[in-house]
Amino acid sequence: MAKLPTPQMLVASRPNFPDEPWIDTKPEFTPGSYCYPAKKETMELMHMPHPHEWDPAAEDWNLPENWEKILCDAFDDRLARHRSLKLFMDICVRCGACADKCHFFLGTNDPKNMPVLRAELLRSLYRRDYTMLGKLLGKRVGARGWDKEVVKELFSYAYQCTECRRCSLFCPYGIDTAEITAIVRELLHEVGLGTHWIMDPVKNCSFTGNHLGIQPHSFVEIVEMLADDCETITGIRPKTPFNEKGHEILFITPSGDVFADPGIYTFMGYLLLFHELDLDYTFSTYSSEGGNFGSFTSFNMAKKLNAKMYAEAERLGAKWILGGECGHMWRVINQYMDTYNGPSPSHMITPKSPITGTVFKNAASTKMVHIAEFTADLIYHNKLKLDPSRNDHIVTTFHDSCNPARAMGLLDEPRYVLKHVCNNFVEMPENTIREQTFCCGSGSGLNTEEIMELRMRAGMPRGNALRYVQQKHGVNHMACVCAIDRATLTPLANYWAPGVTVSGLHELVGNALVMKGESKRTMDLRQEDLPNVTDDEAEGEE
Amino acid sequence: MSKMALELLREHKKEVVNAWVDAVFATYPFETTGFLRTKQDPFGNPVAHMTRESAAILFDAVAGEEMYPPTVKAALERFVKLRAVQKFVPSESLAVIYLMKPILRKQVLPAMSRVGQLAAYLEAESRLDSLALLAFDIYSEARETLAEARIKEIRNQHAQLARWAQRLEAGPRSGEKP
Repeated sequence: MAKLPTPQMLVASRPNFPDEPWIDTKPEFTPGSYCYPAKKETMELMHMPHPHEWDPAAEDWNLPENWEKILCDAFDDRLARHRSLKLFMDICVRCGACADKCHFFLGTNDPKNMPVLRAELLRSLYRRDYTMLGKLLGKRVGARGWDKEVVKELFSYAYQCTECRRCSLFCPYGIDTAEITAIVRELLHEVGLGTHWIMDPVKNCSFTGNHLGIQPHSFVEIVEMLADDCETITGIRPKTPFNEKGHEILFITPSGDVFADPGIYTFMGYLLLFHELDLDYTFSTYSSEGGNFGSFTSFNMAKKLNAKMYAEAERLGAKWILGGECGHMWRVINQYMDTYNGPSPSHMITPKSPITGTVFKNAASTKMVHIAEFTADLIYHNKLKLDPSRNDHIVTTFHDSCNPARAMGLLDEPRYVLKHVCNNFVEMPENTIREQTFCCGSGSGLNTEEIMELRMRAGMPRGNALRYVQQKHGVNHMACVCAIDRATLTPLANYWAPGVTVSGLHELVGNALVMKGESKRTMDLRQEDLPNVTDDEAEGEE
Repeated sequence: MSKMALELLREHKKEVVNAWVDAVFATYPFETTGFLRTKQDPFGNPVAHMTRESAAILFDAVAGEEMYPPTVKAALERFVKLRAVQKFVPSESLAVIYLMKPILRKQVLPAMSRVGQLAAYLEAESRLDSLALLAFDIYSEARETLAEARIKEIRNQHAQLARWAQRLEAGPRSGEKP
């Protein structure tokens, strides 16, 4: 009779320690740890190279016959095109400063999620073909050749990186591991390997303007529905200008704010704010998506999707663009837009707030202003009447979304706004905020439900810090300035710190905003009862 | 349980806790174990912090200290929730609780049986079994939360679209043009 295993036997993950070095450890594809593959039809529609059916859990990924040559040539091409990549391949001294800074490593404890080792997966291939020592000594100096298992490994770990760039912050050489991840993903797309969650929005954005592929008329109707909700709450129906020519400002925000809970409440905050300011602006149905999933696919795809912003500003004659609360949208704008599609159309001007006269010189090149900067400026100049006590039912903390924080330095503006619209604000521990912020664990196209388990372990460092302030300071709310965060921090908070709600910054602005001619507010933007409203007063209104 | 047995167990707390923490760390890949052992920051090394926190509480509960069940649960919760989303099968996730048994048998049992406290020792081991069951509850709850999160997320992504579609279904409202 076979013996039952002891608990020690059940937990032993490495019975023959040391089993094998990382270079020989094969990647595992268990349910919950990988994204579903992109559909062949989607890849074909987008003219992606080598579209094919494949399954990450299968032994054979049906790679094209000459896959190795395709990958080697593509890698060679990227090295020639991006000097930064060549530099990143050459200069790492493996000091390990980045090793314990990655939320994926902290959550999974998988050594290949140390940024240094994740980059080493590609660097080892580079070493074989581009360094003398690697050519001569091979594996002894950490060089290796391509094989199908290596491709699987690259896929596994390139999609266990949210391109949040926390590791880069600690790298003494400034190596941007996010760029390495981006290149690995680009290489994988060359042999037809993409994920459904990324390629489907890319396709939808290409054809209809937004991630869900909502047709223009429906898009407008949904926004009008949200304006109706605003009227129910405030008694004022904000205007919803669409595709109108000749306005000063074009407003672009991620479409998640229009379709997804709880993003819609942030969108309602925008509507109310713009209405109150009587802002000269328009939305666009063509450029109805701030997010850019192309940036998780390839340089060219990111460029193509980004082009719509300037194209639409030109068509509508907008002088500058105001951008909503989004994460990677701002990284693309702040770091790549000029290279992709700059210079901006000649009629555009350096953004100037029509309300305060402030000139946003920081946006002189891109002509795009982040709404947190815009609103902070309004508050600074005392242009808004705010009643922060309407948010008294929450004790909020602020999650710095990786891209606005690390890719554009937007650290103080959202806090400034938050402190003016809420009376109770608590910071999370120092090494988990501002530049050192921990990612939600679901950025860069990993915000899909099939990897919920992976997201919960990757988001654990953020959840852990949130739980700490929840227990220590009674925090029951977390504000953020990213559409992906709004969607993904909700389940994360529910798992690690149940009882904490999540919202965008402008939802809280919308709550606190005292509008001209509004009816007495008895509910917040979620149509839940406001605090500090006594029954007498409420009845008095009726 | 006699006062003597509790004293004896208390004397061994440090070595049992340390040995158990090491045993848990050893369930992670070799390259990671060193990092888990060395860094103490609760936010810079959350896994180690969660493990150490639950180790101390787990031992106190096993030893038979006066413990308030919610405190025990809260301390174990963070640790069990972590194990529930890491890449382990359920038995691997929770078997770590039982790793305390061989440690107790090695470190504490000889001392206790020498002074005729064997019955008290067995009681302590039984408390560990109860704690494993408590962990099982937390584990199941965590996995259910995870499954619910997936369903909720699918719903939330299209929340407004569904609402809009329902409106269309209902037909134009009175006074509206069709």
